[in-house]
Amino acid sequence: MSRTGQRLAVFLAFALGCVCAHAAAAQDRSAPRPEPRAATNPLEGNALAISNGAAMFRNRCAGCHGPDAHGYLGPDLTSYWSAGGTDARMFDIVRKGVPGTEMIGADPLRVLDKDIWQTLAYIRTLSAVPAAAPTGDAVSGERVFRTNCASCHRVNGRGGQLGPDLSRIGSARPRAGLASKIRGSSDVIRPGYEPVTLVTRDGERIRGVRKNEDEFSIQIMDARERLQGYVKANLTAITFDKQSLMPVYGPDRLNDRDFDDLLRYLTSLRGATETAR
Amino acid sequence: MRKQTRGLDGRDGQDGQDTNRIVPAVLVILACALSWTLVSAQQPTASVTSQDLREGLKNPTRWLTYGGDYGNLRHSPLTQITPANVNRLVPQWQFQTDTLGKFEAAPLVFDGVVYVTGPLDTGWALDARTGRQIWRYRRELPSGLIACCGLVNRGFGVLGDLLFKTTLDAHIVAISRKTGAIEWDTAMEDFRRGYSGTTAPLVVKDKVIVGIAGAEYGIRGFIDAYDAQTGKQVWRFYTTAGPQDPGHGTWRGTDAKAWEHGGGSIWVPGAYDPELNLTYWGTGNAGPDYNGLEREGDNLYTASVVALDADTGKLRWHYQFTPHDIWDYDSTQMPVLADVTLGGELRKVVLFANRNGFFYVLDRATGNLIRGKPFIQTTWAKEIRADGRPMLLPNSVPSEQGTRVCPDQSGGTNWMPPSFDPSLGLFFVTARESCGIFFTWKDDYTPGEAFRGGAVQRLGDTQSSMLRAIDVTTGERRWEFPYTTQSWAGVLSTASGLVFAGGSGNVMAFDAKSGKNLWHFQTGSSLYAGAMTYMVDGRQYVLLPAGTTLTAFALAEF
Repeated sequence: MSRTGQRLAVFLAFALGCVCAHAAAAQDRSAPRPEPRAATNPLEGNALAISNGAAMFRNRCAGCHGPDAHGYLGPDLTSYWSAGGTDARMFDIVRKGVPGTEMIGADPLRVLDKDIWQTLAYIRTLSAVPAAAPTGDAVSGERVFRTNCASCHRVNGRGGQLGPDLSRIGSARPRAGLASKIRGSSDVIRPGYEPVTLVTRDGERIRGVRKNEDEFSIQIMDARERLQGYVKANLTAITFDKQSLMPVYGPDRLNDRDFDDLLRYLTSLRGATETAR
Repeated sequence: MRKQTRGLDGRDGQDGQDTNRIVPAVLVILACALSWTLVSAQQPTASVTSQDLREGLKNPTRWLTYGGDYGNLRHSPLTQITPANVNRLVPQWQFQTDTLGKFEAAPLVFDGVVYVTGPLDTGWALDARTGRQIWRYRRELPSGLIACCGLVNRGFGVLGDLLFKTTLDAHIVAISRKTGAIEWDTAMEDFRRGYSGTTAPLVVKDKVIVGIAGAEYGIRGFIDAYDAQTGKQVWRFYTTAGPQDPGHGTWRGTDAKAWEHGGGSIWVPGAYDPELNLTYWGTGNAGPDYNGLEREGDNLYTASVVALDADTGKLRWHYQFTPHDIWDYDSTQMPVLADVTLGGELRKVVLFANRNGFFYVLDRATGNLIRGKPFIQTTWAKEIRADGRPMLLPNSVPSEQGTRVCPDQSGGTNWMPPSFDPSLGLFFVTARESCGIFFTWKDDYTPGEAFRGGAVQRLGDTQSSMLRAIDVTTGERRWEFPYTTQSWAGVLSTASGLVFAGGSGNVMAFDAKSGKNLWHFQTGSSLYAGAMTYMVDGRQYVLLPAGTTLTAFALAEF
């Protein structure tokens, strides 16, 4: 074998080794479960499972879905089954997560199949209120959105980027949570959108949202969507504001009908494919 | 013929006699040179002896154990880098692992070579001057690996020409320091039952002492000693007391076999006192982590420090930091052995900043408590009583509804090693303030499956972290430096009055006396290990693992 050939062989062997190492690592992390998950909850109605599941729900789910599962940051779960949802689909959502939302999948090494079934057994016991009939007009709501919101929020590739992308917000938030946010609540501000005001040495005040920060620097997007980092030693003040950068849309700025239409539009946003359908 | 013969001076030989004299002389010289070459090739090169390990950083150009020396002070006598010149510290080389995961290891340095382990059971020998790879070791790991908290490793141990390492599939291996080839390989336990190895070994005399991890999967923890040459097990100490062991009565409750899957992991190396011939190891949480109903009692010897005879593994004494642990307060922090003056008396002590939020000073010979004082806010216990037990606070038991307890399950500190500067009497530790909501439920033990009996919801607005300097003579805080984000960085200090630590990806240098920040460098990854320092060719280096990159810093040469 020529010297070049030898080098190539060594390189290929090394590259193959690397690929194999990565493949092995990936395989190790997601070792196949011996049995596929059941189609229906094997623990439904089991008293111990419901009791364990209650604690698991409070620990892992209530922070977003609310202590009664009626929805807070995340959607209302109590009407899931009455709206035709299946155990199997809910299991898969918990295991795999929902892309584009804060709902992450449950790590098989930490959360066993049994734990998911126990949690679902508990949720199933919560009052199954049929979902309220939706109100408002989504087409009109989209117009309201374009007029009031799109300068800062993007939907399916159109709109500003100072605020979060809302293309999947209908999957990620319940109607009540969106309503309170639009009317001015700053209870929850998504990481990466914390409002901050910087003051430079020459007195310039820069308002924006924090993207990152360490002991010596801060990175923001300012109100004109300019991404920029600042060395703290060159700033005279850094103030984190309690109120979100988003304006308050009270009834004076957004009447009840437009508000209702906007909510209908936002709750219909489930990602590009589903919205287009 | 005569004209073809040349002397060493290049002149033609004048006569046969001259030539006859010159030829043997050349042959003698050649023979001498050849034999010198052969002899020097046969002479053993520098090798690590047990005396070297015992002397620790007496030769400060090296770093031969996880904690730098048997006492784990992580305090180097090197003084080339000082508070006055540390602002001239610049990167000299970087080494990237080309793997996923992160470094949690302490690199070793011997004779100009760095030996370091990486994630996914990898290891390297690197030129300490340039970072260039000399050899690479990688273990073929089986599928279905079970490891709760990252596929990491905390470093090599070394003796002679062998390096020792625990593996994620619960083996211990010896590797040739010269080639990276496996010399022996011994299974400690069955990885499919949740056992794994991540601690760096502690080499004492002719033995390699290690422990096993996996308390989140219902393992029975142990500390093992293996013969360094053969890999044969010499002794084993179980960290949960079995029926024949003293302390077995501390496992009561509804599950008579609770001790068999009662946890007590070992995943950070211990310390060794050559004079007392005792080896000290911090033990992990009891299992299941958050549900104590099946295992009422103190659950010895979990969440403790145990002092074992290094030759036999026999328990000399133990001190339990968190009796009946139900908060996942592993005591797997690195024990630090120091001689300190307390109340006018020189005491041989163990210093221990515990995950449960208390900073302990124990007598090294007896295990008696000298002092236990919180170094962060704690709500599970108020103080440590004179009898050594914590004074528990009400409403701190995990529940189905959730119970708020501080610190959270990651604790007041964790695996990141602290350092101790004996000249200042200051203990430097990466501290975490935090609270969590602790939930519990009933888990059934199934081999190889998660066995936690609950979980914790971290409360983000309660979390902060900082580097704290604790005066060991009083237990009081001398200074602190707050980090912007939660830090997992280990600490290094040097005799020139510097402390190296960091947060938010920044490696930082501080004035040891005042805590003033003197230098920083953004590495681009969170820090999960501590820096170490060595000297080669008269130049002091500070070597820092961050993410999957090693960076070696030295003073700029203009």
